[in-house]
Amino acid sequence: MTFKPHYIAGLSLLVGAVAACSNPANTSEPSATEAPQPVLTIYSSRHYDSDKELFAMFEEQSGARLDVRESGASQLLETMKAEGDQSPADIVIAADAGSLWRFKDAGLTQSLASDALQNAVPANYRESDGHWYGVARRMRGIAYDPTRWSADQLSNWQVLAEEDKSGEICVRSSSNIYNLSLMGEIIHRYGSEAAQSWATAVVGNMARNPQGGDTDQIRAIAAGECSIAIVNHYYWIRLAASENEGDNEVAASTAFLLPEFEAGSGSHVNITGAAVMATADSLELAESFISFLLTETGQDYITRDTKELPLIDGAPLPEGVDKVPAFTASDTSLDIYGENQAEAQRLFDLAGWN
Amino acid sequence: MPRLSLSLSSIPPALIIVLVGLPVCAALYTGVMAGDGATWDHILENRLVPYTLTTLSVLVLSAIIMLGLAVPTAWLISRYDFPGRSVFEWAMILPLAMPGYVMAYAWADLAGVAGPLQSALRDLTGLSARDYWFPNLFSAPGLSFVLASTLFPYVYITARAAFSLQSLATLEAARSLGANAFHVFARVALPAAAPAILGGLCLALMEAAADYGAADFLGVQTLGVGIIRSWTSFGEPNTAARLALALILIAGTFLVAARTFQGRRGTQQTSSRWRTPNRTKLPRGMAIGMTLLCSWILLVCFIAPVSRLAWLAIDHGAQGADLGALVRSTLILGALGATAAFLASMVFALATKRSETLRMGARIIAAAGYAAPGAVLGLGALFILRETGQALSGVIAISFLIWIYVSRFTSAGVEPLQATLDRLPKNIDHASRSLGTVGLRQFWRVDLPLITPGALAAALILFVEILKELPATLMLRPFGWDTLAVRAHAYATDERLAQATLPSLLIVCAGLGPVLLLSWRLSRTERS
Repeated sequence: MTFKPHYIAGLSLLVGAVAACSNPANTSEPSATEAPQPVLTIYSSRHYDSDKELFAMFEEQSGARLDVRESGASQLLETMKAEGDQSPADIVIAADAGSLWRFKDAGLTQSLASDALQNAVPANYRESDGHWYGVARRMRGIAYDPTRWSADQLSNWQVLAEEDKSGEICVRSSSNIYNLSLMGEIIHRYGSEAAQSWATAVVGNMARNPQGGDTDQIRAIAAGECSIAIVNHYYWIRLAASENEGDNEVAASTAFLLPEFEAGSGSHVNITGAAVMATADSLELAESFISFLLTETGQDYITRDTKELPLIDGAPLPEGVDKVPAFTASDTSLDIYGENQAEAQRLFDLAGWN
Repeated sequence: MPRLSLSLSSIPPALIIVLVGLPVCAALYTGVMAGDGATWDHILENRLVPYTLTTLSVLVLSAIIMLGLAVPTAWLISRYDFPGRSVFEWAMILPLAMPGYVMAYAWADLAGVAGPLQSALRDLTGLSARDYWFPNLFSAPGLSFVLASTLFPYVYITARAAFSLQSLATLEAARSLGANAFHVFARVALPAAAPAILGGLCLALMEAAADYGAADFLGVQTLGVGIIRSWTSFGEPNTAARLALALILIAGTFLVAARTFQGRRGTQQTSSRWRTPNRTKLPRGMAIGMTLLCSWILLVCFIAPVSRLAWLAIDHGAQGADLGALVRSTLILGALGATAAFLASMVFALATKRSETLRMGARIIAAAGYAAPGAVLGLGALFILRETGQALSGVIAISFLIWIYVSRFTSAGVEPLQATLDRLPKNIDHASRSLGTVGLRQFWRVDLPLITPGALAAALILFVEILKELPATLMLRPFGWDTLAVRAHAYATDERLAQATLPSLLIVCAGLGPVLLLSWRLSRTERS
């Protein structure tokens, strides 16, 4: 067993190699005489090429360097908890209000009381103490076969539980965050028991087991497997605005609407939002970044690829988004989604919604 | 004297066991120590049994499909000649380059209700989507098919090696005693190869058990999906880690069962006539049948899904941003991870060869890591990171990531090495010792030349596995170190499958080199 030093030598070599190869992106360290370049570290659960362009633009404008870690919101949350005080994170961007609530609930965010931001973002799209601010809206709605249903027949979520929808509904799995948030609002409005009955009835009306993503549900309508699909608006818009003819045909053979919960309740809204972390080095830099997201340029880049709805008045609408029907937003506090998320999954499980 | 040598030589493998086992132990410890809560009660009461049954049914079905694909083809390719044999010999390993989640994307697109197969069926027949039955990929059998079609090469590799290296004398004896070709296979060759085949199958099943990406995409409620759901939906990583224990117990049961079977049935080769016999030419009808069968397997498990992805990429004009940087980080991380995991595998395989207890301990620890979903090991790493009070960046992040690769994949390296060692007659070891060649000299002059083929196979398999790894890389990579798998996943979760095709195809391309090298090496070993 005298060969063991070789392993140790091998392992030390490896460690050396790791040290030598780390951080390839940041080769230009500032020299000792210059003031150190400020660094803004962003933990983001979004993955869009247009976000990268947006970040590059902010780097140029602010002179700061952006370090971005993209991962799932749950993974980012757990990473921050593990890093504790040492976390480099200054900003968290999440594509769902429930996730932002979890960061706040874990005590990782801090309040950013900025008059400018509070004026820019309507009250129901930001946390009341400034722990997070919405930067774009995403709407969960219904895509349907217009030869089968009229918009009036699908004007609220409750009709999906009715018997005439038997074998007509396509939807993705219950653990998807947008299904959980929608269920969170239903629980808030009608209580757990009614929410579970609704989910059970919807499961009974499904054309097939929950599977795939939202786009797959819209394609299933076009293929004739079902006539109603629960989907976010931008998946339908992306098919309509796609450069692929097949995609355009799928969108053309379906219609999209934003149901209410009951007449006058308003429609379910979700957001992409940004929060400032308690570990942020510079509150000023963090605020300037969120403000930048809420400029017309920022809004343009945030929504350009995603086809989300911009949040500030006067921001340009991304191509194709004008097809989203007009709506009144529900006044339910978005914090509810996070608070009810675990209960929503529990009820989905009990209802047999895979 | 044996006692002394055991205690001294136990130190390096014991250290590696701790290194390999710590992340999975940290995750399980945190999971078990966390108090019961409403979520755990709910899972225990309503979900644990369905999750477990679904997982078991997927594993059993995958095992049947893998054995059905791998064993007959390995036998016929080893012993018979038919048109295309020399191509199929290496091409059957190609699906190994395909990550399970990529196979799921491709086949879901091909066989889904809106995909080309069903659309063509509707166009031809004039039926609507509700009028006919079509195999449902979004089901436990569908998932079994997807997993088996990417993992069966593990069984094929071990089966072919076992058939090729079988003692010619035994097979000739069987023939001379009047056994026909089928009986030689079923009564002589298969039982002798069974322990090796089972070893390959075990490895493939542990990999299948740890899957999350394919199961989640196809909407099948396996334990892997349940574990991630406990974390993301219920916000309880501790519950997720605790649920992983069920998965590890299943894998442990497989391993112990396989080991017991191998111990009982294992045959020690004593004949040194290992020359591969001349291949028999198959009769014309059977030869054509065999060519068609192998072509069909390759078409379903590799050519069709890869072509579909390529077509999607072209049709949608997919463009890749900074693909060069992605390829670079993928290759660097793959090389570092494979090197580290390979060294750990070598220590396990060589240093434990004179202690059965140590060897079993090492294999079980390595198997626990292999059967645990990458995300659970990632959680284990975060639990350890918390104790160190460090940020997850730079060298710290890379070190943790490499550590998790070692913890996750060492088992995949140990098994081929172990299989090679097991085939060596024990008397070589004794002979070298009696000639005074011990320690380092024995390693360089005796062990190393003998295990080189197995070692190469282990290193290549580790490299390909790490190229495909997603969940731990997603969690632990430092800033600026996106890999191809991370990027493919990012596009796929956002339902931009066309964009996801380019990085997915590049993973397959990056894996093809090592897989072809592995094939070539295996064929050469066989001929020498």
